[in-house]
Amino acid sequence: MATPTTRPAQLEPQEAATAELTVDDRGELLRYMLLMRATEERALNLYRQGQVPGSYYDGRGQEAVSVGSAFALGPRDRACILHRDLGAHLIRGVTPGRVLAQMMGRLGGVTDGRDGNMHFGDRHLGCVGMVSMLPDMAPVACGLALAFQMRREQRVAMTWFGDGSTANGQWHEAMNVAGIRQLPVVFVLENNQFAYSTPNELEFVRDPVERAAAYGFEGVKVDGNDVEAVFAAAAAACDRARAGGGPTLIQAETMRMHGHGAHDDMSYVPPELFERWANRDPIELFERRLGAEGIETKSIHIAVEDELERETAWALAQPMPDPATATEGVFATEDPVLGDGHAPWSRWAPRAKEGPHA
Amino acid sequence: MGVSVAEGTITAWRKRPGDWIERDETVVEISTDKVETEVPSPAAGRLREVLVEEGATVDVGTLLATLDTAARPGEAHADEHEAEPGERSGVVSPVVRRIAAEHGIDVARLRGSGRRGRVTKKDVLALVNEQGGAGPESAIPAQEGDGGRQRAPAGERLSLMRRQIGEHMVRSLKTAAHCTTVVEADMSAVEAARGRLSYLAFVARAAVASLREHPSLNATIEGEHLTVHSEVHLGVAVSLGEEGLIVPVIRNAHDLSHEGLATRIADVAERARSKRLLPEEVEGGTFTITNPGRFGALLATPIINQPQVAILDLEAVTKRPVVVTDEQGRDSIAVRPMTYLCMSWDHRALDGVLAARFLSSVRRNLESWSG
Amino acid sequence: MPELTYLEAISDGLREEMRHDESVFCLGQDIGSFGGAFKVTEGLADEFGADRMWDTPLAESAIVGAAVGAAVEGMRPIAEMQFADFIACGFDQLVNVAAKMHYRQGLAVPLVVRLPSGGGFSGGPFHSQNPEAWFLQAPGLKVVAPSTPEDAKGLLASAVRDPNPVLYLEHKHLYRRLRGEVAKGRYETPLGEVRVARPGSDLTLVAYGAMVHTALEAVEDLDGARVEVLDLRTLCPLDREGILGSVRKTGKVVVLHEATRSCGVGAEVCALIAEEAFEDLDGPVVRVTAPDVPIPFSPPLESAVLPQVDQVREACRELLEY
Repeated sequence: MATPTTRPAQLEPQEAATAELTVDDRGELLRYMLLMRATEERALNLYRQGQVPGSYYDGRGQEAVSVGSAFALGPRDRACILHRDLGAHLIRGVTPGRVLAQMMGRLGGVTDGRDGNMHFGDRHLGCVGMVSMLPDMAPVACGLALAFQMRREQRVAMTWFGDGSTANGQWHEAMNVAGIRQLPVVFVLENNQFAYSTPNELEFVRDPVERAAAYGFEGVKVDGNDVEAVFAAAAAACDRARAGGGPTLIQAETMRMHGHGAHDDMSYVPPELFERWANRDPIELFERRLGAEGIETKSIHIAVEDELERETAWALAQPMPDPATATEGVFATEDPVLGDGHAPWSRWAPRAKEGPHA
Repeated sequence: MGVSVAEGTITAWRKRPGDWIERDETVVEISTDKVETEVPSPAAGRLREVLVEEGATVDVGTLLATLDTAARPGEAHADEHEAEPGERSGVVSPVVRRIAAEHGIDVARLRGSGRRGRVTKKDVLALVNEQGGAGPESAIPAQEGDGGRQRAPAGERLSLMRRQIGEHMVRSLKTAAHCTTVVEADMSAVEAARGRLSYLAFVARAAVASLREHPSLNATIEGEHLTVHSEVHLGVAVSLGEEGLIVPVIRNAHDLSHEGLATRIADVAERARSKRLLPEEVEGGTFTITNPGRFGALLATPIINQPQVAILDLEAVTKRPVVVTDEQGRDSIAVRPMTYLCMSWDHRALDGVLAARFLSSVRRNLESWSG
Repeated sequence: MPELTYLEAISDGLREEMRHDESVFCLGQDIGSFGGAFKVTEGLADEFGADRMWDTPLAESAIVGAAVGAAVEGMRPIAEMQFADFIACGFDQLVNVAAKMHYRQGLAVPLVVRLPSGGGFSGGPFHSQNPEAWFLQAPGLKVVAPSTPEDAKGLLASAVRDPNPVLYLEHKHLYRRLRGEVAKGRYETPLGEVRVARPGSDLTLVAYGAMVHTALEAVEDLDGARVEVLDLRTLCPLDREGILGSVRKTGKVVVLHEATRSCGVGAEVCALIAEEAFEDLDGPVVRVTAPDVPIPFSPPLESAVLPQVDQVREACRELLEY
């Protein structure tokens, strides 16, 4: 039975999209990609030194997807971030030290040792932490967007998932619901070519982005190793969502340049495929472009190195959690809600430069 | 009724022998010069016997009828139904076991109202209410004036263990001619050697060695007969907290080193606290050591564990200034870990000189400890 | 006080909560202008509009998942599963996302999932289940199971206000059969407190949901025995002291539920008693439950599986005589 709920709520008129990047913004894009890579390299070393318990996962090679998409978010937008997207956490305001403490299971990590590796979301920064069932955050992002829509707020929920998730029923349910209600949600599919060891051709026949049309919304495919291309697609999607234009599925083509986890030797990846992507490193590509335009980047490298030294020292100084607290906090006794995140894009100035630990 | 009521007349029996009666159900109607009243049953059970006929006038306090509280409702009358011995349920539920233990009731002797004669919680509570658990048969006494001689609220009855300890201690005090002798011992040598072991094992070892030198303290006395033992079966008092204490016996303690004694003491103490001691492990002691010392007391006069003739008490070891004399005979004041060894002994069996010699021997063993 | 059916009490509760707080909304299949498969939400779309009475597609994961997302963003969603059985399709969102949310990242998930549960009407293996035990192994979820119209409304209000995900088991058998006085306006029945449905001193009969009524009928005339009937009302958190207090008084316990036997609520209650009140027991703890089988369709088979009044009476009598 058709009801009015199948139509989007009427929103206030939206300002025109201004997805333009200043020189400073582009420097920030580079800085966040470098910070993501440096943090993950340090975390991998800590893992190999026995400081990181359990297993270790990272997003090597996918820096442009997470940084480019998250950079489009405004402070009051919300994010459900995937474990390949440390850059998105950094952009929302999580410091590298807290990420490292998180991975080491220490206090000061985002979950204070309750959960490990990249399974976190800082609620104070507008993030809902992922769970291991990777398609699960797609319905949750729909719920965030549903709240915005019901309250007539011009806000966006963004979530990320991989090629494997598109094969799962929950993913379909989320896309379908988002389409039916034309929810203000941006779905970022990072096609990193492998779901653990399973290649694309065993997950789907046609590009998942083609399904967007069937769900009743926009689908765009971008070069996931071009941070500015990802940003442009994400900014347009966010603007469309805020304007009441409904969801967007962005399929970003990229490559996972590390194993599924640190325990995975990637023996299933054809060497020529790996080589091809190795020549398209997202950071190198972007730096080359900036260099050609005469933009200096050396100081950014130095700043990132300095920052990471400080942050690592801080993380290593954090204590382990008290075992006596293991049974605490299963139930909420009050209603803590999501806070707003850091939004470094100059469009959201002057709030842009405010870090949570500034 | 009231304080002035001295006698009453049975106006009517509401129940007849063999009838089942609930607690507080009216059994009999009584008339006095002041009031007509109904008498409620103090417990549930089957009316066994009516002792006073209707119309009779009796003094306050006269037994009117007896009630079988072990009977169960719906069963044949008690006099028609004698339980076969084999029919009795051996099952004692946790709550019945607990209540029975708290009130010193021997459940095994009872036949209850539960299935196959199992004693139920109701049965045991009825007993407790009536007689403090003396037996399954309860009686309904003629009512006393409730105004003048109301009973004070009863305090909580002592546990079985406390009552047994009390009985034992009072009997010992009444039986033995208690006398207490105290010596002071320097525990420096023991302190140096003991590591993580307790003082108790060292004192036990020292005492056992001295008992072999002075066997007249390793003895038992019963009436006019004294038995001196060559083997030392050492009793060690183990506190069970508020519940009480128990004295397991380490047999042939003279065969054990201080480490061996320490192990055995730890073992029996642990099993005593978890109630896993065998009955024979608390019998046959020839000498007892008690050690409340770790709670900080300095001196005590212990009561002899009958039928033994002496008990040694180890109290706290405290650092005290003492005068020490070196090999050249020069005195100085030093800080030493000191303790009092207090021994109660039975003047029927020995005299003070022997007690002092024995204690001096224990002290020597401790002060010259070399492992 | 007006007399309402159990179903009307739930509807009344939903209406009160939605009037009271704009952030409260409902979502589920057919719940809009159609009024739901059991007509619990009838008329609510007229009053509150289709936006707050969202007729979702057939997608339990999306229903629960979207409810989680909306809840962490400050809304108070009430999701309806058309039958409690269907929560299996949305289970992942419930136990992996919602249940662990506060423990992992300190976020409240004020979410209610309504679960029309229970059998007795030839609903067969997929429309008759009592899935409460599934949730008791997922720390972070609360579970309530009202047995009266009064509690149906009061527990719904508490569930909506609670900052945690709450599974609300509403027994289909009671929907239109049970009437009772229900106060007008909002009121809350606190979570985690048993109700003494009938006081007694000889035996404690623990039940919840529809089985409370089976229990009351069974002990109404039981040879004069004074049986205390406890209505658990909340299955998580359990009112431990409420249960233990009654057991300490009576010494004998029968636990009754319509759900299957192994590792059920009864098992938990019995274990609690064995651990905490062993020395107060005057007999074995007894369970009367459905056996470990799916709920069959055919009436004689279904009756053979669901606990019946006579069975409860017999179990109590056996234990009373023990």
